[in-house]
Amino acid sequence: MKKEYLTFIPDIKDLIENQEVKLTIKDLTPGPCKYDARIVKAILSSDPRRLPEGDVLWVRSWTGVLYPQPWAIKILGELEETEAGLPHGETLKALR
Amino acid sequence: MPFRDFREFIDTLDKTVDVVHIKQEVDWDLEVGAIGRRAYEIQGPAVLFEKVKDYPGFSIFGGSLGTFRRVAIAMELDPETPVKELYAEYERRINQPIKPVVVEDGPCKQNIIVGDDVDLYSLPTPYIHEGDGGRYIGTWAFEVTQDPDTGWTNWGMYRFMIHNKRLIVGWPRYSSHLGIMLHGKYVPQKRPMPIALVLGADPLCHMVATAPLPINADEADYAGGLRQEPVELVKCETSDLLVPANSEIVIEGEVYPDRTAQEGPFGEYPGYRMEGAKNGVLWRVKAITYRNSPIFTMISLGVPPDDSSIAASLTAALAMKRRLIRHDIPITEVYVPPYGVTHIVVVGVKSGGNDVARQIKDVLTARRADVNKIMVVDDDVDPFDFDQVIHAFATKCHPTRGIFCEDVEAPRGNALTPCYTAQERRAYKGAIALFDCTWPPERDKRNEVPVKNTFDMMFPKELKEKVVANWETFGFKENK
Repeated sequence: MKKEYLTFIPDIKDLIENQEVKLTIKDLTPGPCKYDARIVKAILSSDPRRLPEGDVLWVRSWTGVLYPQPWAIKILGELEETEAGLPHGETLKALR
Repeated sequence: MPFRDFREFIDTLDKTVDVVHIKQEVDWDLEVGAIGRRAYEIQGPAVLFEKVKDYPGFSIFGGSLGTFRRVAIAMELDPETPVKELYAEYERRINQPIKPVVVEDGPCKQNIIVGDDVDLYSLPTPYIHEGDGGRYIGTWAFEVTQDPDTGWTNWGMYRFMIHNKRLIVGWPRYSSHLGIMLHGKYVPQKRPMPIALVLGADPLCHMVATAPLPINADEADYAGGLRQEPVELVKCETSDLLVPANSEIVIEGEVYPDRTAQEGPFGEYPGYRMEGAKNGVLWRVKAITYRNSPIFTMISLGVPPDDSSIAASLTAALAMKRRLIRHDIPITEVYVPPYGVTHIVVVGVKSGGNDVARQIKDVLTARRADVNKIMVVDDDVDPFDFDQVIHAFATKCHPTRGIFCEDVEAPRGNALTPCYTAQERRAYKGAIALFDCTWPPERDKRNEVPVKNTFDMMFPKELKEKVVANWETFGFKENK
């Protein structure tokens, strides 16, 4: 049984296929820990047939709109649970 | 006597038939949010979910102040109190703050979980709207933070979601009081900021947390004013922060000055789900304390009315009124209609004209332009009556001489304004439109100002009295 994950992305072009990428995913396994976030390194494919060993990755836009076709994700490892950076980092950058 | 705790408030809602107890099991994953949202949209009662999937022993409550009727009940007034009278009573009480008292212990300490035992997934945090970025633990909850130099303690209502079992990430606005405190004091010194998230305090504590009070104002004092009795506060387990002792659940932690995580999106108070943030405000949970059989308070935010739009109608309007009075602007009333989600405000003035309207705009957008449309009306218009406001707008606002639009420079813009672009929102840019619906004072009132055709203004006093006295004899049923 494949596991299912969810990710949110500002632009679908940000999802790079067939190479190691870092992204935040939510675990959709039913139960009280559903939506638990993890930062992982993974290989992605927009065509699950080309990554048969991968799990299911649902993709939502930055405003939460679901892309109808799921991707495939092969998790290579978990990274730190937080990222270096300032709170409101994007705003601070935009204000500069 | 004010409500001692949230449970007494629910008991009263039971007596006034303003709450539904749902005893069948509901799923925290969307079902609670869907029921809560529909209840708002039919302007129905508040909802107590008594049996939540995966979480025996916990219940969830939504809709504390989702109608003006429930605001009146929270203030121990007649549930049928008219909105204008609610405004007046809120204004009277908020102008008489009462300092809190510190107690040694309280019901929120009945269960204490600290350190490695902390697990946010032990709480029935709902996944509210499909498409949200996660489970939002901070919706109808308020955050407590303190300025390390001045001791100013801020209560604010900001969105926060669970990142993992020990981390919470949120998006209080950069220009919010929490944002000012974080970036003004803690981030420059690379110090973690103590924080506490409070769920299920007296509903007036939650209400005052939505109020845009001045910087350095302690909301606990104003909650005391609203309650007409001091709020009882108790010290946190892991910091010196004080929280309402009768709260249902308190989550303590520290905000990272240099770590972050992805946050959102979330269906927000203007009634839209807007984009998430790459760099949310992230905090590590150090303790969770809660009452026995705790009640998790939440709000299924969306298109008004809901707790946010109803509470902010009062709190935002009266905060604006205080600022305008402080600047000696001759206003009568200020009304923030719930459907305007604090983006639109109606200001009544004793004497209008472009100059006064511009003064109002300048005062209301000086530090933060949360509002983006201001309508100014003369004192023959009741700002609370939107039929009258629209009539004034249609007839008295000149299309070229009565409408003024200008950009709002960063970071004064409201980053939760749907009509702005995502780039404008992220950069806190904005705009303001001023609608002057008043007669220019330079116009000759006898010869140039049109005369309003109303029953009140177009007929002799004696005739009006006669008509009113005989109203029911004419066959009309009501003589309002």
